[in-house]
Order: sequence, then C-alpha cells, then structure tokens
Amino acid sequence: MTRVLEVSDLHKSFGGITAVDGVSFHVEQGEILGIIGPNGCGKSTLFNCILGQLKPSRGEVKLDGEVVTGLKPHEINRRGVSRTFQLLQVFPQLSVRENLILAGQEHQGGMLSRLVGPRDAGLGDVAEQMIGFFNLGHLADEMAGGLSYGQQKLLDAAMAFMGGPRLVLLDEPAGGVNLTMLADLKQRLAAINAEQGATFVVIEHNMDFVMSLCTRVLVLAEGRVLAEGTPAEVRADANVIAAYLGH
Amino acid sequence: MANLLNLLISGLATGAIYALVAIGFTLLWQTSQTINFAQGEFVMMPAFFILAALHAGVPFWLSIIFGVLISLLLLGLVFKKALVDPMLKHGVLPIAIATMALSIGMKESVKEFFTAEAEPFPSLIPAGNVNIFGVEVSLQSIGVLVLAIVAVTALNLLLNRTSVGHQMQAAAQNPTVARIIGVPVERMILYTFLINAGLVALASVLITPIYLAKFSSGEVLGLAAFIAAIVGGFNQVRGAIVGGLLLGVIDNLGAAYISTQYRGAIPLFLLIVVILFRPQGLLGRAEERTV
Repeated sequence: MTRVLEVSDLHKSFGGITAVDGVSFHVEQGEILGIIGPNGCGKSTLFNCILGQLKPSRGEVKLDGEVVTGLKPHEINRRGVSRTFQLLQVFPQLSVRENLILAGQEHQGGMLSRLVGPRDAGLGDVAEQMIGFFNLGHLADEMAGGLSYGQQKLLDAAMAFMGGPRLVLLDEPAGGVNLTMLADLKQRLAAINAEQGATFVVIEHNMDFVMSLCTRVLVLAEGRVLAEGTPAEVRADANVIAAYLGH
Repeated sequence: MANLLNLLISGLATGAIYALVAIGFTLLWQTSQTINFAQGEFVMMPAFFILAALHAGVPFWLSIIFGVLISLLLLGLVFKKALVDPMLKHGVLPIAIATMALSIGMKESVKEFFTAEAEPFPSLIPAGNVNIFGVEVSLQSIGVLVLAIVAVTALNLLLNRTSVGHQMQAAAQNPTVARIIGVPVERMILYTFLINAGLVALASVLITPIYLAKFSSGEVLGLAAFIAAIVGGFNQVRGAIVGGLLLGVIDNLGAAYISTQYRGAIPLFLLIVVILFRPQGLLGRAEERTV
C-alpha cells in the first residue's frame, strides 16, 4: 500500500495558543480516515495546515512521499488534493453546472484561449456525470445560492471530486444535513471510494456517520492524538470514552 | 405624442450612458470592495486625453484610440496598482475617501493645466435626424443607444458565456475558494478595473459631444451613476442597467413635464424613495457579503 498523505509532528500555534500540538498520522491509498474530537481540538486547523491555507509552525506534510509543507493552496490542489468546507463555500450566483466546471478546471492559459475556448473548458461531460452521481440533475441549471443547505453540501462534495482528486479532505460533510440527504451523501462517498479508489479524510461530529463510513479513526483532543484505530477499537478505548464519547 | 417619444429616446440615450458608468461602478465594488467616488471624473478625463491629442494635431480616430489606451493605463492599471491595492488592506472607508481625494485632484488638475472653460468635443455620430414612425428623432440619441447596447451585450457575453467571465464571477463571489481551485483572483480583479476604464472611456466619448468637455462635468455624471447603481441594486450588473435607463428617462420626463428647475432634485427624490422602501435596489438582493 502507498501512503498518500503523511503528517509528521505537526504544530500550529496562534500567539500563545497551541491549536495543533505535535500530530502525526498517515493515510493509505484507498482508505477512509475519520478524525473526531471535541470542538476546538484542532481538527480544522490541522486541515488548513495540510492544505496550505495555514503555515504550520513546525512539522512536515508529505503527499506521495514528497514534502509539500509551505506550498500554496492551489499548488496542493493541483497535486490532486481537494477539500469540502465546514461552512458552505460555493459560488452563489453561478449555476450548479458552472460551479462544477469551475472547480474542475486547471485555470491556466492566457486571456485569449479563455475567451475563445469552450465555455465548459471540455469538462461538460465530467460535470454531467458528477451531477448524475450526486443526484443534482433537477438542479443543474439553478443558481447555487438558491439551493437548500443540504443540496449545497452535496454540490460542495461534488465540486471536490471534479478534478478526479487522489485525496479529498471533508470538513464536517454531515453538519446540518437532514437524515435522508445524509444517507445519500454517505452512500455516494462510499461508492466513489469503492469505484475510483479515492482516498478520504473526514472530520465529523456525527458518530454514526464516522463509525459506519471510515475504516480507521483518529481521535484528537487538545491538539494531540488521543487514540487511533478501527471504529471498534476507538469506541472501546478508555481514554476516548473519558474525553469525548462519555459526554 | 411625438414629443413624448423624443423625450423617451433621448432619456434612454442619456440613461444608457449612466448605465455604462454605473456598471463599472458596481463591478469595482463586487470584485474589490472599491467604492469609486471619482467615477464621474473617470468619465470626464478620457475626453481631455482625446482633446490633448487633437490639439497636438492627431487625427480624430487616432486620438480616440490614444484616449482609450491612456484611460486603460491610468484609470485601470495605475488606479488599481497605485491607489486601490495599497489602500484595500485598510478597509472600504479609506478607499472611498482616497477616491474622493482623487476626484478633487483630477478636477483641479484639468482646471489648472488644461482649461477651466467648457471645450466643444467632436461627435462620433453624425448630426441629423431620422424618421421613426413619423417622428423626427435625433441620430445622436439613436447612435448613443445602439453603441451602449452593443457594449453592454458584449460585456454580458464576456461575463456569462466565456470561461474567463466565469472565473471573474467566481473571484467576485467567493475569492477564498476561487484561490484554492486556482483561479488567478488578482488578475481577474485587474480585468474588472480595465473593463471599468473601457466603460468610462466609451461613456466619455458618447456624452461629451452632448454636454461639452469641462473639468466639473464629472460631478453630475458621478452622482447619476451612483444613484443608478443604488436604485438598480448595488451588487448587480443588471441592476445598474435598469437603474441607469430609469434615471435617464425620469430625468428627461421630469424636466419636461414637472419642472426644469427641480430637474436635479428628481433623481435624489428617486434615490430616497428606493432607499426607504427597497434598500437593496430594484433588482438587488440583500447583501450576502460579510465585511
């Protein structure tokens, strides 16, 4: 198995507050790793450090064995890593289809080629597949800003998969999504994982969602790794029960 | 009836020019939170660039090309790099105040170094009238209207039908995500500044033959564009078009049927009514940007 992502001894502090305090973990090709932990335990900061949106104070992030610490977000994006957001991040005044096409583009080429080139940048078919896959067919031409919260979450996830990424980091994909939509989302993620061998890291508060979707779970508390193992192992861990599940 | 048609068409023509200026105004706001209080002077300046070339003996057409290029350079590129970029970090209000200072600086420079008098300005469109349904309508109005429609249509096609247009919209609607997916946000913002410079240069060429070139002519225009943008909806290109046209027509009809003396007050009255009853503008949506 190849290690898609390897994080070693990552630290991030803001002023005097240490948000991430020496976290190390790795993700194998095709794996779905869940990251859980109480609010403020450093989950989102960890994501932002991996994706280049924050610069770690110390430590290293490797993609496919190559150090990427300090690269810009779009350079990491170009290496086949994409993300979804805890808070909704779509382009509200563009249609669902246009959002998807934008997310999948290389965004290179000069002004002229972008003026005369095809509007869908050759991604029309891929976007159509993604629309079908996430059951967004009836909404394809709607403005993204007019969709319900759950539908926007689906769109956000679909956007993350547009470039055919190797690694997708999902930040609370289940947050605020109703139960039907949630089952749908989980089933879609499991299917992409099985069919395309895509690798996921999922931050989530919804225990059922994490425990049923993920193959391995990392528990964070106060910026450190508290436990790591299969869902069953983590659930049985005394530290975890005390710190988190016991609440 | 003939009179009404005439008033409508010339109102639409003036309104179309307001719309061009208002569109640029909203574009700058959408992409870089720049409220450009010098927008009126941005319309006044290109006419003087062209006049300077004409006075130096350059042929009319070449002078126009020269004027447009200088506008793109100074009112687009230099405006962004020298004023907006350094001020933007400090927030919306410092930019607004800096553009007010720029507006005064531009007016005074023209008065000081060019002329304080109103200068005649040659028209692109030949004088004369055309007969529409038995009514004599000035060719000037029709020409202005046609050119403005062509420009707005081209801009709409660019924004909505090309991949670079979608990138520009993405950069305006959600710069954070746009950056992550690799949209060159800075370059997109520069494009909108260049588009604004192009729009004000066109407006200048269209309106100056009607109102003459004068250092103070931007005052009325800037106010009109500002009102048009707010009336139509500050965050919508469509809104700026509707606001501009509406303002032009109301202005003209008001002057003819209500009072010439109160002409200047009518747009302000419209502004107050809209702010009271529909603050997001006729076509606008409540601002979803959190500043």
